[in-house]
Amino acid sequence: VTYATFAPEVIVVAGAVVVLLVARLQPGLHRRLRPRLPWLVAALLVVVLGVELWAGSSLASYFGGGLVQDRFALFVKAAVLLATALAIAAADWPAEDSLSISLAMPMLAAFGVMVTASAGDIVGVWAGVEVTAAAGVAMLAMRRPDQAMRLLLAGAGASALLLIGLAYVYASSGTTDLLNMRGLLAGLAPTLPLMIPLALILGSLAFRSSVSPLYVGGGLVSPLASPLSTGVITGLSATAALVAAVKLTAAVAPVGAVYAVFLEVVAALTILGGAAAALAVRNPRARMAFLAASQSGWVLAALATHYKAGVVAAVFMLGAFTLAATAGPAVMGALGASEAVLAGLGTLRPHRAVGLSLCLLSLAGIPPLAGFFGEFAVASSIAYAGRFELIAIGVAGGVLALVAAVGTIRALYLQAPLDEARRAGFSLPVWSRLSAIAAVVLCLAIGAYSVFANPIFAVAFQSAEGLGLH
Amino acid sequence: MSQLAIHGLTGLAAASPSPVPVPGAGLFTSSYLLSICVWTPALMAVIITLIPNPRGRYDTVIKQLAFFTNLLLMFVMFIAYNQFESFLPNVQYEEKVAWMPAIGVTYHLGVDGPSIVMLLLSGLIGIVAVLASWNVRERVRAYFALMLFAQTCVTGAIVAHDLFVLTLFWTSATVPIALLVLGWGGPRREAAAWRLAGYWGVGAIALVLAVMAIYIGSGATSFDFDVALKSALAPRAQVIVGLAVIIAAATRLPLFPLHGWARDVYSEAPRGVVVLVAGSATRLGGYLVLRILVAGQPDGAKLLSPLIAGIAVVTVVYAAIAAMRTADLRHAGAYLALVPGGVVAFGLSALTPIAITGSVLALFTSGMASALIATSFTTISERAQTRALAQLSGVAPRMPKLAWLTVLAAFAVLCVPLMATFTSLQMILFGAFKTQPVGAFGIAAGLGLTAIALAFILQRLLFAAPNQEGPAVSDASLGETWYLAVLAGALLWVGILPGGPKIPGTDFPLFDPGLLNVMVANVPEIAAPYTGSTP
Repeated sequence: VTYATFAPEVIVVAGAVVVLLVARLQPGLHRRLRPRLPWLVAALLVVVLGVELWAGSSLASYFGGGLVQDRFALFVKAAVLLATALAIAAADWPAEDSLSISLAMPMLAAFGVMVTASAGDIVGVWAGVEVTAAAGVAMLAMRRPDQAMRLLLAGAGASALLLIGLAYVYASSGTTDLLNMRGLLAGLAPTLPLMIPLALILGSLAFRSSVSPLYVGGGLVSPLASPLSTGVITGLSATAALVAAVKLTAAVAPVGAVYAVFLEVVAALTILGGAAAALAVRNPRARMAFLAASQSGWVLAALATHYKAGVVAAVFMLGAFTLAATAGPAVMGALGASEAVLAGLGTLRPHRAVGLSLCLLSLAGIPPLAGFFGEFAVASSIAYAGRFELIAIGVAGGVLALVAAVGTIRALYLQAPLDEARRAGFSLPVWSRLSAIAAVVLCLAIGAYSVFANPIFAVAFQSAEGLGLH
Repeated sequence: MSQLAIHGLTGLAAASPSPVPVPGAGLFTSSYLLSICVWTPALMAVIITLIPNPRGRYDTVIKQLAFFTNLLLMFVMFIAYNQFESFLPNVQYEEKVAWMPAIGVTYHLGVDGPSIVMLLLSGLIGIVAVLASWNVRERVRAYFALMLFAQTCVTGAIVAHDLFVLTLFWTSATVPIALLVLGWGGPRREAAAWRLAGYWGVGAIALVLAVMAIYIGSGATSFDFDVALKSALAPRAQVIVGLAVIIAAATRLPLFPLHGWARDVYSEAPRGVVVLVAGSATRLGGYLVLRILVAGQPDGAKLLSPLIAGIAVVTVVYAAIAAMRTADLRHAGAYLALVPGGVVAFGLSALTPIAITGSVLALFTSGMASALIATSFTTISERAQTRALAQLSGVAPRMPKLAWLTVLAAFAVLCVPLMATFTSLQMILFGAFKTQPVGAFGIAAGLGLTAIALAFILQRLLFAAPNQEGPAVSDASLGETWYLAVLAGALLWVGILPGGPKIPGTDFPLFDPGLLNVMVANVPEIAAPYTGSTP
């Protein structure tokens, strides 16, 4: 009973392992279960979400503070489980390379984010980020081993930087525990020796979240990846990095001056660069990945304020980001490979088209969707910090993102569908009851984020307090 | 003295403290009246989106749904207008729910005099826009769903009483309107849509910055008008906020030099969208200046008033000259549609009670006039199958109904007596001659130039010798006549009876309490900081 709080993590990992083992050891059973597996996994994740909301609502600390269950963990885990369940339910399975791997890896990636969110020390943070990234690499390797190798090597470099940075922070503060670190750093002056490791850590996380100019994981790889793996890389992997960034910046907030400027510059570059890149590319999957990268810049901008209000806004934003960036590519399906073949999807696959449109608009921060509310909350915290130039950059990025998103939505709704001959090998995404339900639930979730902004914001507020920001 | 003068000029500044109850007032009440007005179009848009429409089988049903939704809304808005308690300074039909209390956001709706006028404008424009869209044949479902979404955004911005909610609705309007232009516009629709998105996007940036500056300046506790706009910012901060608001408003109204989208959108968009944009969506620019700058930042408004007046004068003069020089009928309509917006902005720059009151009325009348002139020229070009002024000549005998409606549109733009625009212009000029005399002469000169431009265009277009080699023309259809006539009729109604009709032999209003009586509620409070300059 004591450890029931972490039942969701156990169930998710066990589910992923079972799916992989059944495919490997019981091919007959796997073949029989094949049509129902997405249903089963999606249902499992929904059940886990229920368990998380029930059991995870109690505050607790385990393994000597190595894992903690607070409101922040609850918020992130709920968002990630919902996003993963929707991505799996909405997935266009013929466009995926392997059913078992494409089911198991998102679950493992979700597990990685959950570990990051619950981590009470820097080791847990690092481990969670790496697990999530590894799941993305594994999925990409199914289709493009060369790109997966590239992503792996670049990720290994980022991982090394993260470790070095964390080691320096440990050396400075004398503890790996994040809450203790906060207390110990409060007595230190913001110096250059502290700035270097923090820059290394945040640089590494910037790579993991595909922020500017490190688009290797997101925008650059996504056109080559399958829809679900794009969701894992641009959604879950980036979420893990952003969660780590939230936790680490909350821990080192007393010396916020050492990273604030760095984060501001990265945030500004990311918001504008991501939106400009989204405008420049024609590939819808890459466009969505760049829009996601642009929105992750807003999270960084909120963290740059190193105020409690900023962290609250970042957490609030994180939920909106995770939903759209993870489930969006899955909803897009095979047609994400080219804008031309998306033409007329609004008529042919209306559920998917609406879900995709809302994801794009939410990532672009267009009202009245989840992304806008998140960005507005971040803008409020930035304004509170007196950084109006960052708001101007952010809103300018929003305008570019709007034009990019409208470009794809125009193809969905305002262009006539291509005939089969001109679709050039891209078959329409599957229509199934599960995918339709997932698309509708995704739309409701993105819309409900604004309607229920008050309770969500309250949880985000408690999350910031859970991170020690009182 | 004409009835106009009696009701217009004696009533305008009077804001008589003797409200006369309207028969039937209080019969219908709802705590959610404004939410009904805002969200009904969005709800209907969702329903329309979900209606299966194989091969356009239910196109007519969808059009009817959109029309009757607007009719119902107009009914509700008219009830709100009719039961509005004039002369009270407080916000009415208020709805207030905490939304994001951590950053001080409330779902706060409410209307005062200026808002109720805008609400009525939005309702009328909604009906006219649907009527004007009756000829849409392609993707009818998507068209009307987007149009209803756009209406929700416009109405929401009007009734918002929280800066966040205002920003939310203000910026939301961009997407559906850009998509409407992009999907159903003319040959240059892409350029028009992207320009619209770009300019309105710049306006959104400016508005967000202004809102954030007010929020921080007022203590970062609330976005509610009652808190954020009641806090006295430092004069320098007010000027910064004011500049941002002017930029935002100039992209919408539009005003020179941020008018770049207007010509393309008015000349390329389908006429229903032109009605919506020219009639109500763009009026939000003037409304923003009134609500945030004039009402909320008096020091900034005083310092920036010469700038606003200058921009307004340049806009009117530029529009007149551009209309004179263009060879394209729809471009001419687009330029002429800028003129009423310039007049509104000028009225707001005068900062006297009478000019502010005139500007509130002008928000209504300019929306009608801009929509009427732009769409009458659009309808003529569609009926004549050409936009080239060189080929169009002497069409009045062959399209008498359109010709008369176009003449009325010209009268409305020129603010001639009997048109509602005359009443609003009179108030504005009377109020402005003391505080902005040069600007007032500039506006008058601009209107003179507009008159010359209209005289040239209409003389050639309608009354010259017919061009025998030109394309065949036909008169307006019943639907076209209706939507133009509703606009012209509203302008005439308010122009002739600004105080509303009375039960014969009494002072009791018959059914319309009179726009002029209703709109002044809360205006004295808005104008209070400027009473020193009252003429």
